[in-house]
Amino acid sequence: MSSLDRKMDKILAREEAGQIKKRMKNRALRKMFANRLSVAGIIIFVVILFMCCAAPLFTPYDATKVDLRSILQPPSAEHILGTDKIGRDIWARILFGGRVSIAVGLGSALIATVLGVSLGTIAGYKGGWLDGIVMKVSEIMMAFPQMILVLILVTITGQSLWNLIFIFSLTGWPSMYRMARSQMLSLREQEYVQALKAFGIGGMRIAFKHILPNAIGPIFVNITLSTAMFILQEAALSFLGLGVPLEVATWGNILNVAQDLTILKQAWWIWLPTGIAVTLFVISINFIGDGLRDATDPSQIG
Amino acid sequence: MKLKKITSFLCAAAMAAGMLLGNGTAVMAEEKAVSCQELGTPLADVRVRQALAYAIDLDAIVDSLFDGKAEKAISFTAPGDWLNAELPVYSYDPEKAKELLKEADWPSDYTLDVVYYYDDQQTVDLMTIIGQYWSEVGVKAQFRKLEGDLAAQLWVAPEDKENGPSAVKWDLAYAAVAALTESEFYNRFASTATNNSSVPLQEGLDELIAASNSTMDTDEQKEAFKQIQAYVAENELAMPLYHQVCFIYNSDDLDMAGSKVGNDQFSYEKNILDWNINREDKTLYTNGGPQEFFWYPMVNPGYMINTELIFDKLINADSSLNPTEGMLAESYSVSEDSLSIEFVLRDGLTWHDGEPLTAEDVKFTIELMLKTPGANAVATEVVQAITGAQDYLDGKSEDLAGVVVDGNKVTVQFDKIAANALQVFSQWPILPKHCLENADPATLQQDQFWQKPIGSGPFMVDEVVLNNYATLKRWDGYYKQGSGNIEKIYMFASGENDANLVKNASAGKIDYAWSKSTDDAKAIEELENMNVEVANIRYTRCFYINQFPHEANIK
Amino acid sequence: MTNYVIRKILSLIPMMLVLSFLIYLGIELMPGDAVDFLIPPDALSTMSETQLNEMRESLGLNDPFMVRYVKWLGGVLHGDFGYSLQSGVPVATLMKNHLPATIELTVTALIFSSIFGILFGVISALKKGSILDQMLSVVGMIGVAIPQFLLGLICINAFALHLNLLPVGGRMASMDQNFFERLPYLIMPALVLGFSLTSGVMRYARGSMLDSMGKDYMKTARAKGIPEWRLNLLHGLRAALTPVVVLIGFRLPMLIGGAVVIEEVFQWPGIGALFVDSVRAQNTPLVMMIGFFSVLLVLISSIIVDIVTAALDPRIKLS
Repeated sequence: MSSLDRKMDKILAREEAGQIKKRMKNRALRKMFANRLSVAGIIIFVVILFMCCAAPLFTPYDATKVDLRSILQPPSAEHILGTDKIGRDIWARILFGGRVSIAVGLGSALIATVLGVSLGTIAGYKGGWLDGIVMKVSEIMMAFPQMILVLILVTITGQSLWNLIFIFSLTGWPSMYRMARSQMLSLREQEYVQALKAFGIGGMRIAFKHILPNAIGPIFVNITLSTAMFILQEAALSFLGLGVPLEVATWGNILNVAQDLTILKQAWWIWLPTGIAVTLFVISINFIGDGLRDATDPSQIG
Repeated sequence: MKLKKITSFLCAAAMAAGMLLGNGTAVMAEEKAVSCQELGTPLADVRVRQALAYAIDLDAIVDSLFDGKAEKAISFTAPGDWLNAELPVYSYDPEKAKELLKEADWPSDYTLDVVYYYDDQQTVDLMTIIGQYWSEVGVKAQFRKLEGDLAAQLWVAPEDKENGPSAVKWDLAYAAVAALTESEFYNRFASTATNNSSVPLQEGLDELIAASNSTMDTDEQKEAFKQIQAYVAENELAMPLYHQVCFIYNSDDLDMAGSKVGNDQFSYEKNILDWNINREDKTLYTNGGPQEFFWYPMVNPGYMINTELIFDKLINADSSLNPTEGMLAESYSVSEDSLSIEFVLRDGLTWHDGEPLTAEDVKFTIELMLKTPGANAVATEVVQAITGAQDYLDGKSEDLAGVVVDGNKVTVQFDKIAANALQVFSQWPILPKHCLENADPATLQQDQFWQKPIGSGPFMVDEVVLNNYATLKRWDGYYKQGSGNIEKIYMFASGENDANLVKNASAGKIDYAWSKSTDDAKAIEELENMNVEVANIRYTRCFYINQFPHEANIK
Repeated sequence: MTNYVIRKILSLIPMMLVLSFLIYLGIELMPGDAVDFLIPPDALSTMSETQLNEMRESLGLNDPFMVRYVKWLGGVLHGDFGYSLQSGVPVATLMKNHLPATIELTVTALIFSSIFGILFGVISALKKGSILDQMLSVVGMIGVAIPQFLLGLICINAFALHLNLLPVGGRMASMDQNFFERLPYLIMPALVLGFSLTSGVMRYARGSMLDSMGKDYMKTARAKGIPEWRLNLLHGLRAALTPVVVLIGFRLPMLIGGAVVIEEVFQWPGIGALFVDSVRAQNTPLVMMIGFFSVLLVLISSIIVDIVTAALDPRIKLS
């Protein structure tokens, strides 16, 4: 008995020193890195992200620079992935286009997360009319098939990069909100929360600092899933002619030219590498998401 | 700072080249001076407009982007005997462009606001290329696609046709003009044109345009248009870019019995009843099937191939769209003074549903054309010239007095010479009165008739699965029987730009079709069983240049 | 159970009212109106504002917003869904014409992805860790990650144009064709649409199969000497199905979204393609109806998921 007591004292001491949390994080990360697929995912993700962000380091060309004297060139030493119909370098377009596509996907996912999680935390913790209203709004948003809602919104706001980010964020927050809220609901009556309350710690502080961290795993999983979804949706919208304006290089816009059967059949260098880039990137995000899910799921032994 | 520069330069330019702004005297009226200080546009200077043209290498664009399958334009008029051979040509010369811009004191911080309304890849590519050419001579430009009410954003004429200010916001607008006749290209440069949003009153131009419209004599018309062309080109009132051509595709299975192909944007005699198809089901495959409805022939009588198969006109036309012999009319004659046309209908004509087709149908159709808003400009011009048209429109008379029915004879009388009357009667088909009597002209296209129309042409509508396909079958009640074997026409649903044309052709499911897309032509050329023929059409892509004073839209 | 369903359906009504208002408002906020799309842009340059206004008047577009909405709502309550602004065809007729195509496509895709997803998921679980397991998961991953339209175009190029096995698009070649004659048209779009869904189902089926295989009652049954295959089929699968059904139910909205793209790629004459056209053309009555309908479908499918889950898992009670 007394040995157990001593052990508990030690744990308490460590917790007070703020070490336990660190260990927890480490454990999740350790589990994450033990998963080969998620490591592969992280590597691919980081490589693609870095190459896109630092695009000028990897290509001397500009994504919009037209050169009518070298159109539809197959890959060569000069243009490693060839050129498109108006002589723009495909490799440069993939890199610079990746910037935009990733920014749209990741940016929208982050904004949606911040929005949804804050609302969910506040509304879920406080409850009452605020929760009621936000819940109804989220129900309404979620009643639409995502694509249908996005299409309606695109036509309302018009096509532009910022509008697209806005629309994706707007359609993406309800699922985040739901998740954060359910976390709040299940934990706010827990004893440790009651104890914190008894110490006179402010409600919002409890909600954000002591309950929300429990949801950090699902939140990250959700960010990855949303990013992947938005990147694919951007491509789908380009295909329907309702995406980012065609003059902006994005993965969706580069792929869009495959609608021209001549390009599809004869100029594989335009769409195949781009298609692979999109697919690889989305796969890598999914791997990371899977890894995160496993790593942060307490029911899985790591 | 920027605005000051623009206005000061403009005032100077206006004084120096006052002629360009409309009137050259020292009467730079006070209000005008005021407006000059507030508003202006560097595009009012002809040197700027010329410089913008010099900066673009159209030959390179045509060769690369259009794969050599379009023609560089030096005028709206396509090469041929309607084109003035001595027009100034603004061939690619970036040095000259820079020089002119310098002379004109081009404000280097000005960004041109260029608008377009097509959402295809080729347009966007073209805009990108042109933007780059301009930036190479130091002109910044931003391109944007217009959404929503296009007419209100593009074609509203200013109240003051001389001094503006502009009623539209853009600097340049990329547009296309599809013309049945030359007048469609040039009427809009007149200060009286309701759709002239970009060109201020020009000295002497209105008179030239009026002269071109007041004769039925082709030679006189040509002479008049050549003068207009010269005026437009010398002053670069608009910037023609390229002429599109019409590509006609046919398969090896199809024997067109020696018929000549032509401008498929409109209808012409193809002798389809003589065509033979080498398919067991005796079916000819094409596109243009209805997506939501069959297109009504008011705006564009040749929008889809099916229109000319289902509906007959009074007069036939050859592949160059010149009116030939009668169609529904057994014969027709134009009076000495060119002010009336008499049509004699064939005996025993019927509609596909068996109802008789009479002179009343002809009269009904002309009245309907008059009442339908948004009908084609040439057609409207002609029907409005008919005696009593205004009274009929105003509701002052029950019927159109200028169309007189006498048995199977119809006489159309005009108040003034309608230069294009015969073209109109050889393009716009006759519609059945008994089906459309109660249709609302304002929403004619929404009438249920267009779900499965009844006509009097060689083929009648059979099956319709909207957005998928529709079939036509040979109609044995037609007034003549050909020697061909085509019993059925299968049409894949498509709009004017058929995204699936190449796919269907590759799959061996297109025997006859046309398009203006160079991508289609390039892809179909490479198919073994398909042939591509080219026909010239009056279809010119251009920039309209807003020369009315307006605020810089991009700051 | 009946009570539950009735209560759920009743709770949909206020929701649908709010939604209908929001969609209507949304279309109202789009730039321009239907008239701008009824006339080809090149021809617009010859029309005067007066003429355009005449058309607006005749289409009833000049009434104030609220008047139009109330009119529309009144019509709907009387079973009149209005007319397409483009073709003048009753919206109900259009839905009747286009809906079967979409249902045919999505249901086939759903069946396809469920069968293959569950099958491969169970196989993966039984052969956990094998090369087959890993290959299936990689293929599944690609299915989720590749843009659907690109896959569709590649398939058309390969199977329709190069190999000449399947038609490039459309739903039928003649109205006389029965379902089996039309089957070649259905295969490619349904497979491409179902492909992305399969991997999700597969992963779920694999996970829950593994889960149920480790359960105590399975061990007991195994100890009793029940043959392995029977064990897996009867007990394992049944327990594994519940989460899969839930997943499929929740993927239905995704399927509708995917159908929009696939229908465009394969010229499939369904409501997805119709929706894209009518959104672009601001064809309010049609957008309303399709938007409305898809929402209803989502809500109903969530009710069905509830019921099926309860039926499959005796522990869950509907309340």
